Amino acid sequence: MNAMNDVSSKVDRRADDVVLAVRNVKKHYPIREGVFQSVVGHVKAVDGVSFDIRRGETVGLVGESGCGKSTLGRCVSGLSDPTGGGVYFGLSKAEVARLDTLLADGSAAAQAELAQMERRHRIDRLEGAAQRHFRRNCQMVFQDSFASLNPRQLVIDIVGRPLRVYREASGDALTERVVSLLEQVGLGRHHLYRFPHQFSGGQRQRISIARALALDPDLIVLDEPTSALDVSVQAQILNLLYELQRDRGLAYLFVTHDLSVVHHMADRLVTMYLGRVAESGDTNTVFETPQHPYTRALIAAKPDLNDDEGRTMQALEGRVPDPARPPQGCRFHTRCAVATPMCGWEVDDVVRWLESSKGVFDALEGVDRTNAFDAALRFSSEAAARNLASTLRSDAIPAAMQQALEDVTVSGGAVRVRFREVPEVELTERGPGHHAACLINPSHSSSGAN
Amino acid sequence: MLDMTNRPSGLANSPATIASVRDLTVHFPSKRGMVHAVDRVSFEIRDGETLGLVGETGCGKSVTGRSFLQLLPIPPGILAQGTVTFHPHARCGACAGTGCDACNSTGRRPAACPSCTGAGCAQCNGSGAETVELLRLPEDRIRRIRGDRIAMIFQDPGKALNPTLTIGDQLSEVFLQHRTEELLDAAGIGPEDRGLAARLLGRLASQRNGSIDNLLLSLPPLRGKRNLLLDALRNNVAAALAETQIANPYQIIDRYPHELSGGMRQRVMIAQALACNPDLLIADEPTTALDVTVQARILELIKDLQKRRQTSVLYISHDLSLVRRICDRVAVMYAGRVVEIGRTDRIFRNPSHPYTRGLLHAVPTAATKRGQLMAIKGTVPELVDPPPSCRFVGRCPHEKALCRSKNPELAQISDEHSVSCFIHDAAGAADAPSFDEKTQ
Repeated sequence: MNAMNDVSSKVDRRADDVVLAVRNVKKHYPIREGVFQSVVGHVKAVDGVSFDIRRGETVGLVGESGCGKSTLGRCVSGLSDPTGGGVYFGLSKAEVARLDTLLADGSAAAQAELAQMERRHRIDRLEGAAQRHFRRNCQMVFQDSFASLNPRQLVIDIVGRPLRVYREASGDALTERVVSLLEQVGLGRHHLYRFPHQFSGGQRQRISIARALALDPDLIVLDEPTSALDVSVQAQILNLLYELQRDRGLAYLFVTHDLSVVHHMADRLVTMYLGRVAESGDTNTVFETPQHPYTRALIAAKPDLNDDEGRTMQALEGRVPDPARPPQGCRFHTRCAVATPMCGWEVDDVVRWLESSKGVFDALEGVDRTNAFDAALRFSSEAAARNLASTLRSDAIPAAMQQALEDVTVSGGAVRVRFREVPEVELTERGPGHHAACLINPSHSSSGAN
Repeated sequence: MLDMTNRPSGLANSPATIASVRDLTVHFPSKRGMVHAVDRVSFEIRDGETLGLVGETGCGKSVTGRSFLQLLPIPPGILAQGTVTFHPHARCGACAGTGCDACNSTGRRPAACPSCTGAGCAQCNGSGAETVELLRLPEDRIRRIRGDRIAMIFQDPGKALNPTLTIGDQLSEVFLQHRTEELLDAAGIGPEDRGLAARLLGRLASQRNGSIDNLLLSLPPLRGKRNLLLDALRNNVAAALAETQIANPYQIIDRYPHELSGGMRQRVMIAQALACNPDLLIADEPTTALDVTVQARILELIKDLQKRRQTSVLYISHDLSLVRRICDRVAVMYAGRVVEIGRTDRIFRNPSHPYTRGLLHAVPTAATKRGQLMAIKGTVPELVDPPPSCRFVGRCPHEKALCRSKNPELAQISDEHSVSCFIHDAAGAADAPSFDEKTQ
């Protein structure tokens, strides 16, 4: 019971409270191969993400499919445990500051204090009452309301289940609580004894929201809640979510790929690319002055009703690289229009380039890597090796990649390529609360961006 | 907009339209009664334009699109009424398909009516153009149009491609069905050739080959010719893939659909649809399943191919901001009816049907304040035996007694802009101004 009191005393509803602090969260899925299913690598779905969600605010999480935004949403709501880093729940502002100092501090005393803090606040270390406290305060609404509502249960069972599990109500009281929840989401008493299939998509999403609201949570993780809905229904749901937030001081983590929805709903925005945060900051600031080329590309590709009629949609070249072997340096450099020699060009870029060009790739026999920036590419013939070496010195490859090349030597059927070694690009501050993981300052290079 | 008035043509009255839908009505029987999925829909697709067909789930836009190629499940569906006429194009006579001034350097022109050879007769309604009535065409003739003159791109490329066939095998089918003569020509067999070789290769080139044919064709005397034919086929497939800017088409040919990304699969679908230079392309939500960045690329591609080949496009979508970007004209559908149709700029500047306005206000934009999205109240009505009233009744903010008793017809309100609403003037004054200010 001690832990319970401990937690509840801290969670009073102050506006500047941090509901949830995500610190360096990683989720790596092992790739298994062979008879013994040995681990040959990891898909780095989420790879070191940090941000805060404050009480009563909406944080938008955007990115292309496969960037790890849904995985992160699941880690935040405790549906899957991160393989590294931690998600901390119910900290005050001062405690978050203390947490950051402790995480940076490596001393034994700090580690001990950190361990104590983690037992009370880190969601995958919680036990007993503290765990139940987290679970009831963090709810989730899923994209597909067909799959997330049990087709064999009545609405009263679906919406009333959280109340029953937490022994909040039973009998007539339960029915009344469910009715009041349904009324809050625009449904009524006459919907109590119906099955999910008797409702339209928008109504089913309302039932999901009613279920999430049942225990009066602090945080709701919304994973693409409107992407299966028509615009007029989407408008109803977005309005409903806003009203609930205003009345109850809810915090939302809004996971979506739809930029116009995020622009409308979110106070702060986190853009993800290949498991890492590309940019984060106040929504309006990010939309007005995007600092990362990826954010710019996303905004440029999205048609908007308010655009000028002459504006063309800008497509983004290339495709998302394999998350099992994410690019070095800046992960976006393979598709970036303004990449510099310092952006992390590596051996894999040569291999990727070979794959897309006909003929040469067939002659490639193997790659002996010293590290990601230094390797020998073995070819079946010396002619093929010479061919590659001369192409690497020509204009066929991006200028930035060419400048990053430090050494190309042909010895027999092998080409040794060595690139400049660069560290991973970290988030840097671009304005108050506005961070971007990009080496270049867009004001210097805006001509090349669009 | 394309200029339709002075497009040169050798026909008596060059049709400015490639296809027109008249009073199309499709019903589906259900336990509770007849569902009026599409109710007297009429519109036309002009030559070379992109017509957007927008509406929400269940408004009948996909049913309309599919009716062009007889892809509707009939039975159980019932085609109660209506016609879909199509004016196919043929190779330009003046330049033999290489492109000249007479055909806008596309190499194709509206085909002449077979009964009057372009002079104008009763069969072609005096236009002189070949007229095909798609809905009642026998199976063998619609097969010749499907994929050749009219092609379709489906929403979900994962489902529309056969998972058990390689990309090359699926694309080959298009050529084997519609380009048999050219393939035979590549193998050195002319149209007059008879004899065993010509017969066997003819069967191979039109997908009628059996295992005995395959055996005979693999024997030395015929093998060379067969290989010539298959090489030509492979090159055709690769060329079609290259058109959609797939970087290494010869590698893609031997892959299976599951080995490709969503954007790549959609490109394969587009390659398949455009392989035979169709006159009309029906794109049913081609980018809904894709990321915005890929979407922009696919749209660029369709636009570019359309420009080069003068293909007309029927673009079915629910995304208003997208339709505004890529369409010349827009038809808005609601509950099985076209409620508003007109030039894109007219519709978006001056939306005149309350439903169109509702849809436009429901799209979240940077300017709308949170919680202030204008949601349309209520839900889409059930289309089971609907009453003779405006379908928007009950959700419309400007409803009058007349709306409940009578169904409004599409009426022109200005040049190239028609609306089916009794009270569009009053309604327009009431809550449209905010949108007007923004776009002008």
